[in-house]
Amino acid sequence: MKVQFTLNGAPADVDVRADEMLLDVLRERFGLLSVRETCGLGVCGSCTVLVDAEPISSCIYLTPMAQGRSITTVEGLGGTHPVQRAFVEAHAFQCGYCTPGMILATKRLLEETPHPTDHEIDTALGGNLCRCGCYLKIRDAVHLAAGNAGG
Amino acid sequence: MSDPTRSSDTMSDPRADGSIRYSQDMEMEGMWHARILRSPYAHARIRRIDTSAVPEGVVVLTRDDIRDLNRYGCQIRDESVLAMDEVMFVGAPVVAVAAATRRAADEALPLIDVDYDELPAVFTEMEAIAPGAPLVHPRHYISENDAAYFGMRPIDGTNICHRFRIRHGDVDRAFAECDVVVEEVFTTDSAAHVPMEPHASLARWHEGRLEVWSGTQTPFNNRMDLAGIFGLQPEQVRIVCPPMGGSFGAKTFVRTEAIAAALARKTGRPVKVVLDRAEEWQTMNRHPATLWMKIGAMRDGTLVAKHVACWANTGAHADSGPGVAQKMGYASPGPYRIPNVWVDSHCVYTNTPPNGAYRGYGQMQCIWASERLMDMLARRLDMDPYTLRMKNILREGDTYCTGEIMHDVAFEECLRRSAEAIGYHTSDDHAGKGVCVLMKGMQTPSRASIAIEAEDDGTFTIRCATIEMGQGARPAIRQMAAELLGVPMERVTYPDPDTDLVPYDTRTTSSRSTHVMSRALVEAVRDLEKNGKRGVGEVTDKGGLDPDTGQGIASSHWHQGAAGAVVDVDVETGKLHVRHVHASIYAGKVVRRAAAELQNEGSIIMGLGTALFENITFDGGQVTNANLSDYNIPSFHDMPRITHDLVEREGAQVYGLGETALPPIPAAIGNALAASGIHMTALPMTAERVLASIDGGGTVDEARRREMRDIVEAGLHRSEKS
Amino acid sequence: MEGNGPQWLAPTSLDEALGMRAELQEEATVVAGGTFVGVLMNVGFMAPAALLSLRGVPGLSYIRADGELRIGPMTTHRAMELSPDVRRGWPALARAFGEVASPRVRNQATVGGVLADADYASDPPAMFLAMGARAVLRGPKGVREVPIENFILGYYETALAPDELLVEVRVPGGVEAGVYRKFRTRSSEDRPCVSVAAVRRGGELRLAVGAATSTPQYFPDLCAAVGSGTRRAREIGEEYASRIEPISDSRGSAEYRRRVIAVEVRRALEELAYV
Repeated sequence: MKVQFTLNGAPADVDVRADEMLLDVLRERFGLLSVRETCGLGVCGSCTVLVDAEPISSCIYLTPMAQGRSITTVEGLGGTHPVQRAFVEAHAFQCGYCTPGMILATKRLLEETPHPTDHEIDTALGGNLCRCGCYLKIRDAVHLAAGNAGG
Repeated sequence: MSDPTRSSDTMSDPRADGSIRYSQDMEMEGMWHARILRSPYAHARIRRIDTSAVPEGVVVLTRDDIRDLNRYGCQIRDESVLAMDEVMFVGAPVVAVAAATRRAADEALPLIDVDYDELPAVFTEMEAIAPGAPLVHPRHYISENDAAYFGMRPIDGTNICHRFRIRHGDVDRAFAECDVVVEEVFTTDSAAHVPMEPHASLARWHEGRLEVWSGTQTPFNNRMDLAGIFGLQPEQVRIVCPPMGGSFGAKTFVRTEAIAAALARKTGRPVKVVLDRAEEWQTMNRHPATLWMKIGAMRDGTLVAKHVACWANTGAHADSGPGVAQKMGYASPGPYRIPNVWVDSHCVYTNTPPNGAYRGYGQMQCIWASERLMDMLARRLDMDPYTLRMKNILREGDTYCTGEIMHDVAFEECLRRSAEAIGYHTSDDHAGKGVCVLMKGMQTPSRASIAIEAEDDGTFTIRCATIEMGQGARPAIRQMAAELLGVPMERVTYPDPDTDLVPYDTRTTSSRSTHVMSRALVEAVRDLEKNGKRGVGEVTDKGGLDPDTGQGIASSHWHQGAAGAVVDVDVETGKLHVRHVHASIYAGKVVRRAAAELQNEGSIIMGLGTALFENITFDGGQVTNANLSDYNIPSFHDMPRITHDLVEREGAQVYGLGETALPPIPAAIGNALAASGIHMTALPMTAERVLASIDGGGTVDEARRREMRDIVEAGLHRSEKS
Repeated sequence: MEGNGPQWLAPTSLDEALGMRAELQEEATVVAGGTFVGVLMNVGFMAPAALLSLRGVPGLSYIRADGELRIGPMTTHRAMELSPDVRRGWPALARAFGEVASPRVRNQATVGGVLADADYASDPPAMFLAMGARAVLRGPKGVREVPIENFILGYYETALAPDELLVEVRVPGGVEAGVYRKFRTRSSEDRPCVSVAAVRRGGELRLAVGAATSTPQYFPDLCAAVGSGTRRAREIGEEYASRIEPISDSRGSAEYRRRVIAVEVRRALEELAYV
């Protein structure tokens, strides 16, 4: 079936099976390899994309539900978006696998809560897992992106 | 491919813009996708395999396709590419398929019919050493891989594939002279590495050579094992290592590469294997262990004797289990002067998925036991646990029970800093506070080499086998090279390791790479200055231990640290609230501060998971929590206050610290509970276990201790005969 | 099912959706937010021949507070968490929704979905039960209202007939106080080992224990005893624990759950100022 949506600002058009998840479509049809799989259950956040500006687990999001929506992945941020720059400056990653999900979740958090506390950061990003254990520096990155003085 | 982990001093980074490419992202023209059909039984004979229903367009690989291939294994040669006559664990690969799409490969698996005849199985290390236990492997063949770097001591006719001993002094006589003797049995459950990226490799045959792109920490070991499997010379095998989305030891030695290579051989195409998350629990986990320890001291706290017997459950394949058992054994006395030390450490087969290298490498298990035992001894002596440790702690020039002299020693400083950081002495009873000090060995012997090539455009290319898994070794090596060459870091590139192009290195494990490469670089730069175009530096660390006496050099270079923890307990539910953990890690000389901090923080956080709630649950050899909902790893809201030191010294060497801050965390938390009268011996310290200990009034299970002592004596008696 | 995957049915009115549901019944899996269906499909437990998406039916996503709270089935968890109306009149309900999983799941999962899925470890069902909520079901035979305690029947099993859709949830007003306690034994992202939802309204108590067994556990006689002050909170906690047959899983054994039920029920009552 045909599904049409906006992808990183440009119109996108795919013919998919109804049971294809958005994760696989974004990776395989559009080469957006920043969207990654870890758990397949929606609990880890590696597959996070923004759908109409809100974070969604693309691994459990049936592609037909994307009809008419606007989808953003980290490739759509340009590379020097303030949140990306903050992550680089704060050294908020090690292997980098979870980083796109963290960045997108942070982008949304700062739109809703421009100067979050540590607790608010933990609540917004708690469903994004990082096995390398970069949580402390990710908090730093969020504060930096928010222009917070200290935590 | 350009360096995906280039300097974070620039505005963007491939990890932040999503452009980094991991092993799982490898693409090649004409590539097919593989899936694996795995055994549902812990131990069974394969009676019949029927693949007749598999459609055209899917290629199937069974034992019939690989009868010409040799067995392999980095320390004991106990693995075959697919199960041959028997399956030995739930999840053992039985059939593999390749197809043009992953979906087609997926859909073929249910069409394959395998009949099994179930056989008796053993699941725990103590079951496996009991008299009459069924054997997982009837015989043990020592590998020729250079990962079998110490005298292997398998005991044929048993499930023990390696035993390691330390014999230093005379413990039996010494215990009789002690004022106080304390003994206990400790256990640690299995845990999963959970790298965010699963295992992935892509293999192709090209002009008679086997080429494999693999997420692996051990390129040269894999090259050797794959050459052995396919009957090739090592030079006919090429391994290229893209960066990994985490590994923590999971991606070591041959995991998916042989199946990818065998499918590539049969299809005549490149074949990629990427594991499903559930398959990760069937591929490699952490060694569960049982450790019996007995320690004796004089009234004034002077340690006199220690006897350790421990068993590491290595699952159905040894993998690097003998090495884990050895390290667990040689670190088990702890960083103390003890004149009489006997250790008997064993690596034991069971019918569970293989256990292998896991951050900490056997030392988490023995440090848990050893440091908990120290607090028990302190309580019995009515002595401050910190004072007891400081009285006996190893100092510069002391001799360890292996006979080696300790140099560049920092244990006291680390312990002092950790105790201060948590306010250990603000109260006499230390209620809710605990400390731990640790020593951890580094791969010894080992060989590291690095080459630097001067390009015409004024840049330099590093040729080095050290891989990138997020630990930051590659940027550290680039930075050190840039400093030695006197150029900006941007002029130094470090492509993905390719065994065709890089000189030999033992492997990227054991927190060794930044340290050994820091030394090899000095030689390489010196050589480059002479040659102008290419300089090579090589560092060889000799050493090793006699497996029958444990004497020699365990580690050319010791990792050292300490930790403290402040813990509250909800006594009605047993739930722990860790308020603060602090780790003091000896770094010698820090190369990249942010990266070093990240490694400490990451190790601490992983240690919290191990301490509080990470364990793999089994039912009849089957993992019952093989997903990230039923198996938890730490998340943001799980963070206590975390602080740490990177202890440096003028003129010191670079110390690796990729693992050091993990092992002390569980023991520090356990000791904090001990100070509050709660005696924990099993890891993880789940709420349920803590509540059970509170219910028991903090008393020790004497019956269990007696039972374990009997098993220990019987087990030792059997292994003594070998 | 064809090799081309399941059929995607996208009705654009409630009548059309009801018609499809009545015709196909269990041959089509209803998709609201799609989180539960997505997970089950990924783990291979479900490969439906047809997917019936409610996404395109207008007027199913609403929160109306007018003495009573009326919620459309496609309302997301996130909307419930943030709704000023819910926070004002039913704050414990907003908090319970806010406890679910992660913001990503809350952006996608729906009120109708979480009730129809009847996942034993989900947070909202126990809270809805304690709130005295009713599920409104519509099918070819008409409309009926089912109290939540009679709606959730077992593991992933509800009173929803194969030709019915859940079209609204209604929650009475007049809440005086409410508490939601989510006891986790492992990571803070873990599903609960035991949850307790308790609401006081007009001097009456409703308390449900969730995540301990197949359905939320509510004992009106015990709640009445608390309300009248004839039993102490500690006793009620122990009674609840003794009447429930908890499950054992990676979050805790049955015995441990029983211990926690007694403690957490007592603590919920104490939070509501019952002693």
